[in-house]
Amino acid sequence: MTYQEKQNIVNIFTGVLVTLIYALLVYQRHQQGQFDLTEDFRTWGRVFLIYIGISIVVRIIIQIIFHIINAIATREEKIPVEDERDQLIKLKATRNSYYAFTSGFVVSVVGLAIGMPVHWIFIAFVAFGLIAEILDNGSQIYYYRKGI
Amino acid sequence: MAHKSITTGRESEMAKSSIQNNIRSLRFHNGEMTQQELADRVKVSRQTIVAIEKGNYSPSLELAFRLAHIFDTPLEEVFSYKPADDSG
Repeated sequence: MTYQEKQNIVNIFTGVLVTLIYALLVYQRHQQGQFDLTEDFRTWGRVFLIYIGISIVVRIIIQIIFHIINAIATREEKIPVEDERDQLIKLKATRNSYYAFTSGFVVSVVGLAIGMPVHWIFIAFVAFGLIAEILDNGSQIYYYRKGI
Repeated sequence: MAHKSITTGRESEMAKSSIQNNIRSLRFHNGEMTQQELADRVKVSRQTIVAIEKGNYSPSLELAFRLAHIFDTPLEEVFSYKPADDSG
């Protein structure tokens, strides 16, 4: 398995782990009555901002740990150079994730139009954001293995 | 001489056309150059050379010319285009 494939698998696990744990913590607080996510949209804003911050920090830490473990396991300290094939694969994967997230936005808007509560749009954003990330990294793994 | 079929980068034309390459044999005839050595000389990863040889990636025109330059041979000696319709 190449460095890029391993990195994408780590990215998927990190994304799923961070999102699920954070969503669980927020949902627990909501159930305990610390805030009401069905009405309080300012809290949604804070929840998203904190999520972005935590997500960035955790990803950086996990990437550093991954690189150290990979260097020890493979005895290759150098990160492979990113060449034209890597860039093309990333570009195609980003396109796929963009489609997924845009679909999520459309689904959210349709949901609002047919009478779903407003807070569902935020939940849809989180869900489709996660799906888009999985699709991004999953696409990269697919293109690395099957070719482009 | 082992020819490997390489699909083009354009997905819509993948089934219609193919590009073949002689990189593996050219490496062999150039002092049994390793994939890593070739990758270093054309400034790509070894995985990209592997993908080109296996037919999983069609290189850019610039990379194709760089490969031909390394082997000191014309581009058409390294890559050849064969429309799928003519393949029989």
